[in-house]
Amino acid sequence: MSKVVVITSGKGGVGKTTTSANIATGIAQQGKKTVAIDFDVGLRNLDLVMGCERRVVYDFVNVIRNEAKLQQALIRDKRVENLYILPASQTRDKDALDPEGVGRIIEELKQMGFEYIICDSPAGIEKGAQMAMYFADEAIVVTNPEVSSVRDSDRVLGLLAAKTSRAELGGPAIRTHLLLTRYSPLMVKRGEMLSVGDVLELLGIPLLGVIPESKAVLQSSNKGSPAILDETTDVAQAYLDVVFRYLGQERQHRFIEEEKRSIFGRLFG
Amino acid sequence: MSSPPAVALPLSGAAASGSEASARTSRRQAFDLKGTMASLTVLRLRSTDLALVERQLRVKIAQLPHLFLDAPVLVDLGALGDDAAALAFGELVRALRSCKLVPIAVANVPDGLRGPVTDAGLGVWQPPALGRARGAGDAEPADAASTGPLSAQTGATETPATETPATETPGPEVLRAGASAPAGPSAGAPSVRAPHAGPMVINKPVRGGQIVYAKNNDLVVLAPVNSGAQVIADGHVHIYAPLRGRAVAGAQGLAGARIFCQKLEAELVAISGAYIMAEEIPAQFHGRAVQIFLEGGECRIAAL
Ligand SMILES: Nc1ncnc2c1ncn2[C@@H]1O[C@H](COP(=O)(O)OP(=O)(O)OP(=O)(O)O)[C@@H](O)[C@H]1O
Ligand SMILES: [Mg+2]
Repeated sequence: MSKVVVITSGKGGVGKTTTSANIATGIAQQGKKTVAIDFDVGLRNLDLVMGCERRVVYDFVNVIRNEAKLQQALIRDKRVENLYILPASQTRDKDALDPEGVGRIIEELKQMGFEYIICDSPAGIEKGAQMAMYFADEAIVVTNPEVSSVRDSDRVLGLLAAKTSRAELGGPAIRTHLLLTRYSPLMVKRGEMLSVGDVLELLGIPLLGVIPESKAVLQSSNKGSPAILDETTDVAQAYLDVVFRYLGQERQHRFIEEEKRSIFGRLFG
Repeated sequence: MSSPPAVALPLSGAAASGSEASARTSRRQAFDLKGTMASLTVLRLRSTDLALVERQLRVKIAQLPHLFLDAPVLVDLGALGDDAAALAFGELVRALRSCKLVPIAVANVPDGLRGPVTDAGLGVWQPPALGRARGAGDAEPADAASTGPLSAQTGATETPATETPATETPGPEVLRAGASAPAGPSAGAPSVRAPHAGPMVINKPVRGGQIVYAKNNDLVVLAPVNSGAQVIADGHVHIYAPLRGRAVAGAQGLAGARIFCQKLEAELVAISGAYIMAEEIPAQFHGRAVQIFLEGGECRIAAL
């Protein structure tokens, strides 16, 4: 059984691509055949963060336009077995992705035995973001602890409930998960950021995890090696927790308060 | 799953249940022609000063964007009388589209404007359908030509077409056609009071950008109405959760309609056209369980 998971947010720059790279890597490390698709046409980010930009020959749009076979465009990760990347193209044509083409490729990936198809959405709530979510079975909504990000996430949750294949065909609702990223307990304490509790109250969806604000993220994306691969960092631990939780294991929530093992951890664990 | 219904405009309903579809469904048929029209906003022009029209429209749209953005609109020229002939129709269409409205047809088109109307790709609305929509039969009242057949229930206060619009005078009037009009042979009294319909019940959060409209009905929401969302009912609105977005009760003019909510954090509350914006809500009601109702034509808030 394949699962199509969209990583989406509405607001830009909140950590979708970082999350896509880390979660795809983490799931693949657990032995599941996984592909991360970059839906951010025109920008090409995921391949950089995953360190395979030099190996891009064909891309998602080439495959949709039948200029290349899917196998030619898929990049196999050099570090992690079972991990593949389908890069975005640098074409300026925002309409390059159409539902038929995307649907055909997702179907083909399922036929190839991919268990997890991770869709890295572009920012916004327009066509590009809607394409990325259209075929999703599940959604990880990436949110930063600030009002504008929460509002955008709320809008995206509305779209997930209305503008997706499942919604249109009357299928079961897309399962949604909240991932709070760039979280800084210190700033929450100072009242400069919304708390986990605030965000949960506003969005009302289950918490998948909290990723702390950390310099390790920038360093690892500069290296082209997802943070999750260096288990010594907070971020890696946080993303590992998220992966295990996502795959069904119980993990207490961490990184919510300055000291570890927090009350919130037990509340939402 | 019970996602909110497709966006339906409350300012709605030239519900012309015209001739039953002449095309009976047969296996081979590629489509049905239905003589019904779901819901439609009628823009009844009262001025040919298009700058004024556009300016006032933008104000209206800014107040209730989700009701109007991308809404199909029927333009009624009936109230313009002889002035209609002088209307720069192409300009009007451009103005409407720049306001993100979608003009689809025009009613009460003087002969001289038929060309511009069809050139602009709009339909010419046929009077018989309007007559039915009003429930007045096919025969128009003698004075219909001056006010147009699409009178709303607020028609009594209409100003003459020739009046120069002062700042106070509404330019374009967005009508709620069909509000009081029987939608067909079965329609009787306003169905807000229909005993068996039961209220519309929503049990999932209403998210930013979503609109829920309980037409001719009460609305019960059992989950938060979030910032940027809108819940609208022709009857009462009950929200057993925080109201962070906008709520509109009595959307078609029912003055007795009320809004009840468990936790008031609203961006706007409106009843029958009167409204209160977030910043006008007295601090003592913030976060409180309240009801909102009309008193002397204005919205009042009271703790529950
Ligand atoms: N947990 C974190 N701590 C610190 N910095 C972070 C964290 N997560 C992401 N960032 C940084 O935020 C920036 C945006 O991240 P990313 O590209 O993943 O966001 P995005 O949502 O994909 O953006 P876009 O909307 O442009 O696609 C990057 O510079 C990244 O290094
Ligand atoms: Mg990105």
